[in-house]
Amino acid sequence: MEILLDHVMLSRLQFAFTAMFHIIWPVLTIGLSLFIVLMEALWLKTKEEAYYRHARFWTRLFVLNFAVGVITGIPMEFQFGTNWSVFSGAGGDIFGHLLGFEATMAFMLEAAFLGIMVWGWKRVSPRVHLFATSMVAFGSSLSAFWIMSANAWMQTPAGGVFQDGRFFTTSNLESILNPDLPWAVSHMWVACLEVTIFVVGAISAWRLLKRRHVDFFLKSFRIMVIAAIVITPLQIYLGDGSGQKVAETQPAKLSAMEAHWRTNPEGEGASWNLLAWPNESKQDNDWAITIPDGLSLLVTRSFTGRVQGLRDFPAEDQPPVWLPFYSFRVMAGLGFLFFFLMVWTLWAWRKGRLRPDVISEQKKLLLSWMAALPLSYVAVESGWVTREVGRQPWVIYGVLRTHEAASPLPAYPIGTSLLVFAGIYSVLFIAFLLFAGYIVNRGPEGVE
Amino acid sequence: MEFSLAGLWLAIIGFFLLYYVVSDGFGLGVGILCLFPGKNEDRKAMMESVGYIWHTNQTWLVVVGGMLFGAFPLFYSILFSALYIPAVLMLVGLIFRGIALDFHEHSRSKRLWARMFGAGSLVAGMAQGLLLGGLLSGIHVRDGHFAGGVWDWANPLSFLVCLGVVAGYVLLGCNYLVLKTEGDLQKRVFGYARFLFTVTLVLSSVVLLWINMRYSYAAGKWTFLPDAFYRVLAASLTALAFFMLFRSLRGTREAAPFFWNAVTVVFSFVTLSISVYPYMIPHVVSPITVHQAAASSGTLAFMLVVTGILIPVMVFYTTYTHRVFRGKVKA
Repeated sequence: MEILLDHVMLSRLQFAFTAMFHIIWPVLTIGLSLFIVLMEALWLKTKEEAYYRHARFWTRLFVLNFAVGVITGIPMEFQFGTNWSVFSGAGGDIFGHLLGFEATMAFMLEAAFLGIMVWGWKRVSPRVHLFATSMVAFGSSLSAFWIMSANAWMQTPAGGVFQDGRFFTTSNLESILNPDLPWAVSHMWVACLEVTIFVVGAISAWRLLKRRHVDFFLKSFRIMVIAAIVITPLQIYLGDGSGQKVAETQPAKLSAMEAHWRTNPEGEGASWNLLAWPNESKQDNDWAITIPDGLSLLVTRSFTGRVQGLRDFPAEDQPPVWLPFYSFRVMAGLGFLFFFLMVWTLWAWRKGRLRPDVISEQKKLLLSWMAALPLSYVAVESGWVTREVGRQPWVIYGVLRTHEAASPLPAYPIGTSLLVFAGIYSVLFIAFLLFAGYIVNRGPEGVE
Repeated sequence: MEFSLAGLWLAIIGFFLLYYVVSDGFGLGVGILCLFPGKNEDRKAMMESVGYIWHTNQTWLVVVGGMLFGAFPLFYSILFSALYIPAVLMLVGLIFRGIALDFHEHSRSKRLWARMFGAGSLVAGMAQGLLLGGLLSGIHVRDGHFAGGVWDWANPLSFLVCLGVVAGYVLLGCNYLVLKTEGDLQKRVFGYARFLFTVTLVLSSVVLLWINMRYSYAAGKWTFLPDAFYRVLAASLTALAFFMLFRSLRGTREAAPFFWNAVTVVFSFVTLSISVYPYMIPHVVSPITVHQAAASSGTLAFMLVVTGILIPVMVFYTTYTHRVFRGKVKA
C-alpha cells in the first residue's frame, strides 16, 4: 500500500472521487431545466393543465438534484487551491478566470432565479415565472460552457506562453475558444440531454409499469422517445468527431484509447482492437480481437491512413492504457445501445403498443428503459475517465505534469479529507435516493 | 494608493467578499441560533427565513473563489494550500448546512435537520474565521509556494479572529431575524443582539490592535501621511458605524439594526485591509504584495471588462429576488 502514502496519489484520488460524484447532478440539472422550460412554455401556449402539472412535478425532483449539485460543486472549485496549488499558480492566469466567469456569469444566474422558479409560483405572474425558469436553464447550460472551456484548455492549452513555471496569457479569447472546446462543449451538453431523456423516460416507464398515473407519465415518456430520435444518433456523431479531434491534438491519448502500440507502415492500414489485453511493460497487447484497417478508417477515413502508435512516445509521456481503452469501449458501446433502444421503442409505437390501455404490458420495453437510467450515468462517467486518464501524465497537456502540480502537503490531512468526503457523499447519496423515491411515489398529486 | 489594475481588482473582490460575508453571514448566524434553546416553531420560522435566499447568498462565495483564482492565482493557491484544514472544514460545514436546508422539508424528523443546520453553520462559520485568522497571522512562503506547516494556522490570533467572526455572524443573524420575524422570537433575538454587539466590538478592536502590533509596517502607517489620513478616516467611520448600530439596538425600528450591522462589517473590513495593504499575504519576514499575487495585466483587463458589465446585472437581479420574497415569514 505504498501508493496510498503518497500525497499526489491521494490528491488525485480525492479529485477523481469528488469530480465523479459531482458530475452526476449537473448533467440532470442542465437537461431537466430545459425540459421544465418546455413544459411551462407549452402550458402558457396551449393552456393545457397537464403541462402545468408536469412542470410542477419535475421541478420537485429538479430542486433536490440541483441542491446536491451545488453542495458537491463548491468543493470542486476550492480543491484547485487546496490540493493543486502548483497547478493553480501555474495555470491560474487562464484557468482561474474561466472559473470566475462560470461563477459570476452562469452560476449566479441559476441560483438567483432558482428561488423564484421553486417558491415564486404565487408571487410572480406566469410569464415572469417562465422567464425565471428560462434563466435557470440558460445559466446551467452556460455553466457547462465555462467548465468545459476550462477543461478543454487543459487538454489543448492555447492563447498563452509558458515562462518560469507560469502561464502568461497573450489572447484570452484564444484560450477560451481553444481547439478542443467546440467538441468538448457539444459532446458534454448533448450527454446532459441524453441522461435527462433516460432519467425522465425511466421514471415514467417505472410508473407506467406500476400502472400509476398512466396518462400523466405516458405524456412524458412519449416526449422523451421523440427527443431520443434526434439526440441518440447526434451523440454518436459528436463522439466520432471528438475522437478525430483527439487524434489530431492528443495522439498519445488516442493510441491509449485504442491500445494501438505500433505506427502502421506506409501503405498498410492500422487495425482496430475490438477487445484486447494491453500489457504496458511489454508495450504490446497480450491478445486482441482485431478488425483489419479499422483504426485507419475510423481516424483518417482511409484504409491506409497513418495512426501513430504508443511506442513512438517515450515511456514517461505515455498515459495508462488499460483504463482509457476499456472506459472508452463502455461509453461508445452504451451510445449505440441507447440508439437501438430508441429504434425499438419507435417500432413498438408504430405497432400501437404505446397506447394507454396496453403500455403497462410492455414489460421488456419498460424494464429496458429503467435499465437505461443508471447506464446513461455510467456512459458519462466512463467518458470522463477516458478523457482525463487519457490526458496523463499531464495536467496541462504537454506543459505541466500531474505529479508536479500537487500542493506541497503531508499525506495525512489529504487522506483524512478523502475519507470524510467519501463518508458524507455516501450518506448524501442514500438520502437523495430516499427523498427522490418519495417524490416519484407521490407523483403529480398535491400539485396546486 | 496609486491607481493600478491589481488594486482595483482587490477592491472588486473585496466587494464580492463583503457581499458574501453580510448575506451568507446572516444565514450562518441564523443557523447557529438554531442551536440555542427555543421552541420548534421558532426554529421552523428561522429556517424558513433563509430557505429561499441562502442559495443565492452562498453563490457569492463561489464567485469570490472563482474571481480570486482568476485575478490573484498566486494568492489563491498559497492561501488554500496553507490553510488546507480550515478550508476542508468550511466545505464540510457548508455541505451539512446545505443538506439540512434542502432536505428538512421532505423529512419527518425536523429536529434532526434543524440541529444539522445549526452544526453545519457553526463549523462553516468557525472555519471561515480560522481562514481569515490564519491569513492575518501570516503565511510562510518560499519561491511562490507555501513553505510552512499544515497546523500553522492554529495560533492564538487565529482563534481570536475565529471567535470574532462567529460572534459577528450570530449578530448579523439576530438583526436579520429582527427584520423577518414578529412577536416573542423577535424580542428574544433583540436581546441576544445587544449582548453580541459588545462581544463583537471588543473582539474586533483587539484583533485590529494585535495586527498593528504584529507587523511593523502596519503600525508605521499611523504616523506617515497620506496613509495616516486614510487610516484615521476608516477607523473613525468604523467607530461611527458601531455607534449607530448601538443606537439602533436601543430603538424600535426593525430594519435599522441590520442596515447598520452591514455597514459596520464593511468598514471594519476596510480598516483591517488598510492595515495590511500593500501586502496581500502578511508575514513577519516574507510577505507577498498585491501586485506579486496578481494575474497578468492582460487577464486583469479582460476580466475587468467582462465583470464590469456583469456586476450591475448581478446586483440587479439578486436585489429583484430579495424584493420578490420581502416581508415577514409566517411562523
